[in-house]
Amino acid sequence: MEQLDLGHISLAIGFLLILIGFWGLLTQKNIIKIIVAFTILDTGINILIVSLGYIVGKTAPIVDNSVEQLENHNVVNSIVDPVPQALVLTAIVIGFGVTALMLAYAMKLFNAKKTLEINKFNDLKW
Amino acid sequence: MVTPIFIVAIALGVGFSIGVLNKLGKNFTGGLVLAAITFMTFISYQWFYAFTFGEQTPTYVYTAGFKPPFSINLLMGQYEAIITLMINSIGLLGGIYMFNSLKERGSNAQVVYLILIMALNVIVMTRDVFNLFVFLEISSIAIAGLILLEKGTRSMGAGFKYVLATSIISSILLIGIIFSYFITGTLNVDDFISLSISTYKGGAIVVFLIMIAVILELKPFPANGWGLDVYEGSDPGFSAIISGASATASLYVLYKIMAFAGVEWNYYISLIGIVTFVGSNLLGIKQENTRRMLGYSSIGQVGLLMVILGFKDILGENTPYIFFGILISHYLAKAGLFWLSGIVRAKGLKEWAVIRKKPFFLFLMGTFIFALIGFPPFPSFFAKWTLVMDLVQSGNIVWVAAILFGSIMEAVYLFRWFGYAIKEENKHLEDFKIEIHKIIPVWIVAIALYGFGYFVSQLTEVSSTINFIPFAFVILLFAIDFLPIFVKNTVAILGMAFYFYTIYPQLDNFRLIFEVIFIVGGILALIAGYAYKGKREGFYPVAILMYAGLTGIIEAKTTLEFFYGWELMTAGSYFLIIRGHRSMPHGLSYMLFSLGGAYAILAAFGIASVGQDSISMSIINNIQYIPTWAYALLIVGFLTKTASVGLHIWLPGAHGEAESDVSPMVSAILLKAGVFGVALTLIGMGAENNQYSVLAYTLGWIGAITALVGNLMAVFQEDAKRLLAYSSIGQLGYIVFGLAMMTHLGWLGGFSYVINHFLYKAILFLTIGAVVLRVGTHNMYEMGGLIKRMPLAFIAVLIGIIALSGVPPLSGFTGKWLFYNAVLDKGWYLQGAIMFFSGGIAFLYLWRLIHTVFLGQLKDNHRTVKEISIWFLIPIYTLIVGILVYSAKPQWILQPLAEIIAPFFPSNQLVWNGGTAISHYGNWAGTMVMAIIGIAFLAVLGVQLISTRKAHKVKQFDITYAGERPERPETTHVAYNVFEGLYKAMWPATIPLVETFWNKITNYLHDTAGFTRRIYSGNGQAYMLHIVFFILVTYLVIIGG
Amino acid sequence: MNIYVKLAYTFLGLMIVLNWGMLMGATMRKIGARVAGRHGIPFKQPWIDLFKNIGVRTTITHGIMYYIGPVFRLTGGVGLFLFMPAVFSGSPYGIWTNFSFEGDLILILYFQVFGMLGMALGAGEGGHPYAAMGIARGLAQHAAVELPLTLAFLSIAIQYDTFSVYKIVEAQQGGFQNWVLFTNPFAAAAVILAMLGALGHSPFNLVKAPNEILIGPATEYEGSYLGFMQSAGAIIHVMEAMLFMNLVFGGATNWFELILKTFLIYFWSVFVGIVFPRFKIEQSVTWFFKVPLLLGVLAILMYSF
Repeated sequence: MEQLDLGHISLAIGFLLILIGFWGLLTQKNIIKIIVAFTILDTGINILIVSLGYIVGKTAPIVDNSVEQLENHNVVNSIVDPVPQALVLTAIVIGFGVTALMLAYAMKLFNAKKTLEINKFNDLKW
Repeated sequence: MVTPIFIVAIALGVGFSIGVLNKLGKNFTGGLVLAAITFMTFISYQWFYAFTFGEQTPTYVYTAGFKPPFSINLLMGQYEAIITLMINSIGLLGGIYMFNSLKERGSNAQVVYLILIMALNVIVMTRDVFNLFVFLEISSIAIAGLILLEKGTRSMGAGFKYVLATSIISSILLIGIIFSYFITGTLNVDDFISLSISTYKGGAIVVFLIMIAVILELKPFPANGWGLDVYEGSDPGFSAIISGASATASLYVLYKIMAFAGVEWNYYISLIGIVTFVGSNLLGIKQENTRRMLGYSSIGQVGLLMVILGFKDILGENTPYIFFGILISHYLAKAGLFWLSGIVRAKGLKEWAVIRKKPFFLFLMGTFIFALIGFPPFPSFFAKWTLVMDLVQSGNIVWVAAILFGSIMEAVYLFRWFGYAIKEENKHLEDFKIEIHKIIPVWIVAIALYGFGYFVSQLTEVSSTINFIPFAFVILLFAIDFLPIFVKNTVAILGMAFYFYTIYPQLDNFRLIFEVIFIVGGILALIAGYAYKGKREGFYPVAILMYAGLTGIIEAKTTLEFFYGWELMTAGSYFLIIRGHRSMPHGLSYMLFSLGGAYAILAAFGIASVGQDSISMSIINNIQYIPTWAYALLIVGFLTKTASVGLHIWLPGAHGEAESDVSPMVSAILLKAGVFGVALTLIGMGAENNQYSVLAYTLGWIGAITALVGNLMAVFQEDAKRLLAYSSIGQLGYIVFGLAMMTHLGWLGGFSYVINHFLYKAILFLTIGAVVLRVGTHNMYEMGGLIKRMPLAFIAVLIGIIALSGVPPLSGFTGKWLFYNAVLDKGWYLQGAIMFFSGGIAFLYLWRLIHTVFLGQLKDNHRTVKEISIWFLIPIYTLIVGILVYSAKPQWILQPLAEIIAPFFPSNQLVWNGGTAISHYGNWAGTMVMAIIGIAFLAVLGVQLISTRKAHKVKQFDITYAGERPERPETTHVAYNVFEGLYKAMWPATIPLVETFWNKITNYLHDTAGFTRRIYSGNGQAYMLHIVFFILVTYLVIIGG
Repeated sequence: MNIYVKLAYTFLGLMIVLNWGMLMGATMRKIGARVAGRHGIPFKQPWIDLFKNIGVRTTITHGIMYYIGPVFRLTGGVGLFLFMPAVFSGSPYGIWTNFSFEGDLILILYFQVFGMLGMALGAGEGGHPYAAMGIARGLAQHAAVELPLTLAFLSIAIQYDTFSVYKIVEAQQGGFQNWVLFTNPFAAAAVILAMLGALGHSPFNLVKAPNEILIGPATEYEGSYLGFMQSAGAIIHVMEAMLFMNLVFGGATNWFELILKTFLIYFWSVFVGIVFPRFKIEQSVTWFFKVPLLLGVLAILMYSF
């Protein structure tokens, strides 16, 4: 059996976090908890992105001294896939924006009804 | 040419600079935003122009100096140009519309709005899936952010649910995207296509994740509660943008994704689309809140567009035509309606009656609704036509049925809403204010709808042959609607007369009969319009619209032209009918039955076009594919107009409540359109073809039962116009029966009835209508003794009822005699007996009509009423001359008729010997009979004149009754419930089974809708659960199943 | 035949029918009286009534329709005679066939209504409630009677493949076994039952209902008008009996046969009327929708398969 490498572990953690996030989104009644669940989901996805770009034994795709010191200066063969790393940055920013927006909503909703129970905000229905 | 990257650049630039420039005031920043969007629109337009009129080839724009997959690239192709143009235009108009409301929210809101439009542009143009994700998120955040900046708390919940739902959806999308990179090493759509990603290991799952996310963005039923809440809760300006721009962009994303998803997805996309289309429209019928209803409608329309995308391989090169035809109509009309809802500020559907206080807005509303339903001349009409044709030709009849069913559901709620707007009480409602910047966009989209309609019609060869002249005349009448009646009426009459003069030589005799009934009859009915005073706003355009449609179906050379005319006529007659008092529910049921019938006809035309190389009208003479079904559909469609039993329940109310001169138009004239259709169908089936004998046989029974039901119901009416309306049902039953016999005699009888019914029903409706105008009631028991005040009207009704009843010597007998012979000839004895029994019943209501209105006791409040208006008497007596001529010389009409029928149904069953008609069974000399009766009558009259020369004229109450001389007419006038005894014997036959049947169906649909829509509990988590379930179910069906 | 001779014969025939109708009416009333144990009217009573009515010095009028109502009625009666072949003589243009060659059974059926309608309208203008009630009842009952009658007539027309009354009579010549009564028993039975309603005696006399709504439609009429109506009534009674005679009972080859047959046909309704009390309108309508209708349908079904 192959050894559990870092990539697989993080992949599993990512999925686990995604599931926890979904579970939280669907079960928690408190809006803040829902937002937390969303950030967990978001984090899970981010971990997923990074771990999919991971290649065993390679280093981060940052061209600095650690790479310069490599014997044959073979940068391409010594770093992990850089694209997911770039993507995850954007995804984090987006996730941040969404979380901020949600929190702003939470604030407004609380001001409106003095409660954070999501069940109470069903004026519009059917 | 400005490269499309500037769309992004200008938006970002302006967005950032506003952060600095907001000191200059919100008007300035708002103007800056509009200027930016204008520039973006200009860029799109430039490309659009280059693609459409130049030789422009699709162009890639690369960013960051790298080629994909290492950088993001945008594509500007023809579709991108069109879609971005649409997005930017609606963004611009929406920006104008929301100028003040954005200003109130501050310069941040203005920036966010600009960014939203920009994001939608990028969504359309980008070829990079991750970029797609980013800008989808930006657009979602922008929408949610704009909602967040609104005042009030009502929309907050909706906004939050929206954020939750879109974040779940984009999470799914992101997971899909990252795996797609993982397995292919690229994020570029074009690479996905060239690598055919779905063939990779795990590729199916990846495609599923991306696809399901994009589909969820389109708010598929039932995982769309979050979308509905936003449509309902947010500013109508945003709803317009979401419906017009956001949904359009998402649809295009779907199109892009489909390119690499694999063809097996097409079917599922159509499936999800049709479920969405039917589901949302079904739930829409239960809505009382306007914006939510419009939301349902928007989602439904997007579903329909998904169906079209799913069928793109089958529709082939017609796909863009169909897709854009429906998209443009939806996009413009829905934006217009949402904007209107912001101007009118009416929440509940019934409150929309306030719109009538500014009639022009009612016109706009009508334009949008008719465009949504797909009436001519709007683009959706042509697109829907092509869609149905292509789907049927490729054998997807079930899909057509589902689409048409969904469309009917949509029509149910839209027309109910429109009916409220036209008819509901509005005195207590406060008038709405108009802000000029809000109206301009609405006007522009309305004008654009007409413009695009014309443009689309010129795109294909078949639709460019449509004769738009009558419709142009309608527009002219709209333009002069401010003039007094006298002018408009004269213009209308002269226009129709001139048109008839020009069209007359082009018609064969068969069509000429109907054209004469439609146009000459129409002119006669219009003459009565001079009796009205004031302006009669809106009457002339819609009346002429109906006549334009009627002449359209007569002139039609292709099935498309026929359908075009048919729909125009339906629209015009709907407006005419709904003008009457208390006619709102009848207008709705008329419209729904008409639309149902029209769709049946549409489907039948589709079937008929299978295996043909043209869509000329002659294809219905030789249907290749499932001909029996096609003919059955055609007949059902036309029977909705002839109001045959089962499809008749709209008629009594519609005709009974219509205005005095409208009743003859919609009864004596309009019903003949259905007859024309039935006649065309039966000619198509052909006399010799035994294959369809079951169909004709059924039709015969339908006709006979209709005759019985109509006449029997007429007997028990207290309302004079309803009585005549039911009578029309019965008479049309005769005609259908006669035509269904498919023999020379049967057709001769049927056509004899067509002409007769036109003559006497026009006389009766005009006269009774004119009487109603004088006495102010429809109830016969409130009238009585009017012969003393209106002798000319009495004579008209007398002649009308003698002709109708078929008593010799007037013309009605012609039809009876022909029918007896035809029945014996055909061998339909039982049906025939029912017909003749119905004829006997007709005496009851005819006597009731003339007795309770004109005879008996004159009421006190009618002692000074005047004779009916001269403007009514002129057409009435013109028609009476027609009846007398026809009665005296039936051969003048029957002989040419026989020649017309002979090519289809061989003659020699009826021979003329001078004025004597001789059939195998008997003979009848019309002129001689009239002479004999006339001489006998005069002789007897002479004797009586001599013997009663000293007759003493007595007064009204000079009778004794119940032992005293009556002094009040009410106690002495026998009128109410006169056929009580008959009712006691025959009440089981008057149970409104058909009405109950349709009511049950209606209730069932309402209950289903009412029950189903409760899944939209308003709880944000429930909506997320719907999304998760939707994903699971779709997964099981598509991948696991 | 010279048209004037034809007219003269037709007029003569009309007079015979008129007088026979009056005599028959008197006879029937006498029979009714005798059954009730009374002596009854003298046979000359109808003529006395007629001359008295025409001779009265004062007449009134409620208006023009009221005035021409009786004209319609009498024209209806006369016209019916004109379009009916009275005595069969082997040629459609015979001396007693009147003007029946101008039309056929359908003309007669529909022309029946001409007089009814005119009288109904005239009586309507009189404004008397009894008139309107009587007419409403009459129309309802008429409609109900029409159904079995129409079925039966259709059946007969199918049987002989013609609508010509003359041809139907012609086909029944040569002995009573050729009568429709025997060749088409269902149709005949339907006619025999339905004609009770058409002839309008008890139990189907709610139209006139003497001791309830006076004489119904004619309530307001007096003097010459009434005379006209009585004359019309006499003619129409004979004409209806004659129609049934021609269609079901083999027609007549001479006046004696005509008188006998019409008497018997008419007597049948009087006979029933003496035995049975008056029906309400809903009862009579329902009655015609039961056995007579069934018989009529059977008569049609015989030829449908």
